[in-house]
Amino acid sequence: MIGCYDFCGHYEWTFDWLERVGGHALVRDYWNEAISQDSQRHARELIQREGFAGMAKYWGHTLAEESPERGFTITQKPGVFRIDMHDCPSRGFLLRNGLQQYHDYCDHCMGWIGPMMRESGFVIDHEHNHCGQCWWEMRPAGAVAGHSAIGEVSGAKDVRLLPHWRPPGSQLDRYDKATDPDGKLP
Amino acid sequence: MSVPAAPDLPYTDTKPLGAADFYYATNATFRFILRRLGVEGWRRYLEELGRGYFAPVNRQWQQGGLTAVARYWRAFFAAEPGASVEVVEQPDRVEVRVYVCPAIKHLRAGGREIVREFCQHCYHLGSARAEAAGLTMRLSGGNGSCRHTFALPSAGLAPQNLQAIEEARP
Repeated sequence: MIGCYDFCGHYEWTFDWLERVGGHALVRDYWNEAISQDSQRHARELIQREGFAGMAKYWGHTLAEESPERGFTITQKPGVFRIDMHDCPSRGFLLRNGLQQYHDYCDHCMGWIGPMMRESGFVIDHEHNHCGQCWWEMRPAGAVAGHSAIGEVSGAKDVRLLPHWRPPGSQLDRYDKATDPDGKLP
Repeated sequence: MSVPAAPDLPYTDTKPLGAADFYYATNATFRFILRRLGVEGWRRYLEELGRGYFAPVNRQWQQGGLTAVARYWRAFFAAEPGASVEVVEQPDRVEVRVYVCPAIKHLRAGGREIVREFCQHCYHLGSARAEAAGLTMRLSGGNGSCRHTFALPSAGLAPQNLQAIEEARP
């Protein structure tokens, strides 16, 4: 049986298998069709119906279930919904267990959240450091380009303030008002 | 802080139980692969997953024999929320008696359309893993409760009848 305890391990393995079988396009389609539109349809329905309030309900539940130690914070302010992920339970599982088949596991989040936000009328600012830390800001489509200043939205909880936000040798992936997993800034 | 929850599992997490909503993703993954690659593609996916991702478990089974198989399944289901399972060791086999399948239970509770082939995944995956460990695997039942048998070749189990695996229903 495929279990949920080590889900992130076989999920990550699956990205690599799909890419070997059908190329990058099949992995993108998987994130969109299987995860965003099918598996996470409850998130899609909540956010399309309730906007920021739906995001708070969805991620408040999901992150608490996946990360009982609460390695994250959620911040809501007028016009923006922000997540600071200090200790990603999913990436952390892979790192602790030395699992890597796919070249960038972290891309899957933009792969399924991006289309959901686009269809719900939002755009995303996002950075991830591949080490279990990332941040997300969702705003209505049409928001002015550019990232918020460090601490501007979530204050002292801003993950960019962590001393290990940019560990030596790490690669920071960045998105600006994006919804496409391939829309990383150069 | 990392607290290995289940030392008999090759991969450990900091929490004792998995998040049941991930069963939604497994069911959706099956639906996607079946739609895009057909039944043969889905079987190939499960067999390669069994030989690849689960290679550390297969090695444990190969080295530890049926005792390792039984320990693994006890630890596995202890970390799956909502499972009711008994693992019985016999001289030539281990029977995993699944009284309540946690995946089917959660998918039903969430009102999800369950892929009708869902229960076959345990056979395609499990037999690939057993074969890698020098064992044979058979499955009977399904649709919420079933029996997995992992046996030594000398047990001489009859060939798997796929018709003996029930389709998953709402």
